[in-house]
Amino acid sequence: MPETIQGYIEAVEEQIRWRRARSVVSLELRRHLEDQRDAFAAEGLEDAERLAVEEMGDPVSVGTELDRLHRPRPQWGLLGLTIALACVGAFLRVWLTRGDGADAVSPVMAALALTLGTAALLGAYFWDFTALVRHPRAVYAGALAAGVLSWLLPHVNNAAYYTRYIILLYPVVYALWLYSCRGSSWRHFVLALAGGIPLALICMLAPFSFGLFILLVCGLILLLCAVRMGWFGPGRWKFAGTALALAVGVPVLFFGMGYGASFIMRLRFAFHPELDPYGSGYWGWMTRMTLRDVPFIRRDEHASFGIASRGRAYCSWFGEKSYVEFSMDQDFVPLKLLVGWGWLAYLLLMAAIAALLVWLLIRCLRQKQQLGRLTALAVVMSLGLETLFSAALNLGFVMFSSHLPLIVGNLHTVLDLALIGLALSVFRGGSILRNEPPEETRQSVFPWRVKISIISSMKT
Amino acid sequence: MELDRSLVSGSMAMLVLKLLEDGDKYGYQMIEELRRRSEDTFHLKAGTLYPLLHGLEEKGLVTAYEGEAAAGKPRRYYRLTKRGHGALREKETAWNAYAQAVGRVLKGGACFA
Repeated sequence: MPETIQGYIEAVEEQIRWRRARSVVSLELRRHLEDQRDAFAAEGLEDAERLAVEEMGDPVSVGTELDRLHRPRPQWGLLGLTIALACVGAFLRVWLTRGDGADAVSPVMAALALTLGTAALLGAYFWDFTALVRHPRAVYAGALAAGVLSWLLPHVNNAAYYTRYIILLYPVVYALWLYSCRGSSWRHFVLALAGGIPLALICMLAPFSFGLFILLVCGLILLLCAVRMGWFGPGRWKFAGTALALAVGVPVLFFGMGYGASFIMRLRFAFHPELDPYGSGYWGWMTRMTLRDVPFIRRDEHASFGIASRGRAYCSWFGEKSYVEFSMDQDFVPLKLLVGWGWLAYLLLMAAIAALLVWLLIRCLRQKQQLGRLTALAVVMSLGLETLFSAALNLGFVMFSSHLPLIVGNLHTVLDLALIGLALSVFRGGSILRNEPPEETRQSVFPWRVKISIISSMKT
Repeated sequence: MELDRSLVSGSMAMLVLKLLEDGDKYGYQMIEELRRRSEDTFHLKAGTLYPLLHGLEEKGLVTAYEGEAAAGKPRRYYRLTKRGHGALREKETAWNAYAQAVGRVLKGGACFA
């Protein structure tokens, strides 16, 4: 039986096999032991530390019991479904574009993306998510720097190509920012709101209107969730007031910045492309024409060849490139699947992706640790919006350029897999993730206080 | 009076939930409060309490958060959840029925043999 606090903690930790659980469990036990030691010392008892340790009980049985409770929660089902969908996506990208000449996706590049993406998925899955909890502002600053630096790289079609990929990570980055701004004063709340502005500016700088849309929608929902969880102090009125202010303020800001007219135009041609079938409504009109007479089941991939090429030729001829900002070769892979293999194949693919997203959402809502829940929610919302707008795009409702997660785009697939891996890492560590205290109360906590108390107990 | 441990162990979860009904507490507080309210009958060991609390948290009956104790010391507080309130009601009802039945038997109650 150990006689010192440190000895007791080490004996308990030896029984806990999951390394991530040890520090969390031992911190709570150490605090308890210190309270008990101080209480015995105040009663004038000699050897207060030894007595406090004796009061705790057998460290082996305590550690064994805690080991049984705190185990990683493997997410094999979600991992399997994610990798299976990524494999299907790589196959579809190569197979359905093989007749498109210069637009064809290289099998080597698709395999490379799948390998890198799987590595990113597994790397994020086995990675300790709590590193993000410890350094949220560093991640935020890094994401801003990456956005600006990538903007300096060569542009494609007047847009910062790599910045658009980095922007897809911004909802997660904003969730971390919100977490770092927790506090009960209005200063914390204003800071939390203000953190979204530099991220939005980078979206506008890229320019990437769909990225800005995702950031706005996800950011607002995340902010409301954060207020609801009490990150900025208690009170339902604060939540209701924030919701109302945002509901009124954001559209006013959106229209004030000049995005309103463009948004309404997009909306109009998305639902009525026939109003301008050879101009702004061309893609929607062409897609709807293509979808006419598609049977439920078909096996004729040749029917789908050249869809992207026809659009590219048209846009090039009429000089429409400035409006048509989506990648014509890859965003329409789901349409090619639909035209080549019929509605059944398309619906099965969409059902599988929807099942993955719903499964992720259910796990996310069950998550107890607040940052973990918010981070996973940011991932699910981003992927959900991309799926929704990709489905709309491929069915002739052209609002934004959007890729179908895990299916469209090599680099996009790598990014999607990394994001899903991050969410799965949260779920895997579910039983041990802890809500850290806000910044304002965290300064004097672990590890300094513990180190000082260890040193002081060694001196005495 | 030294109690038979087997009498206590089965009802410890109920006692811990009951302690939290009055307000949020951290582990050390709970042990002290239990000792006080039981008039020094229950000496719950911390080594028993923490696995129990972590188990209750896992089941969603309590939730935990970091708070400040006296002198600004950070401590891990536990709070009874809505589900925990429901579970406590059920356990209390079952315990009362059990205690009444045991009481009746010990008092030599009705016998239909």
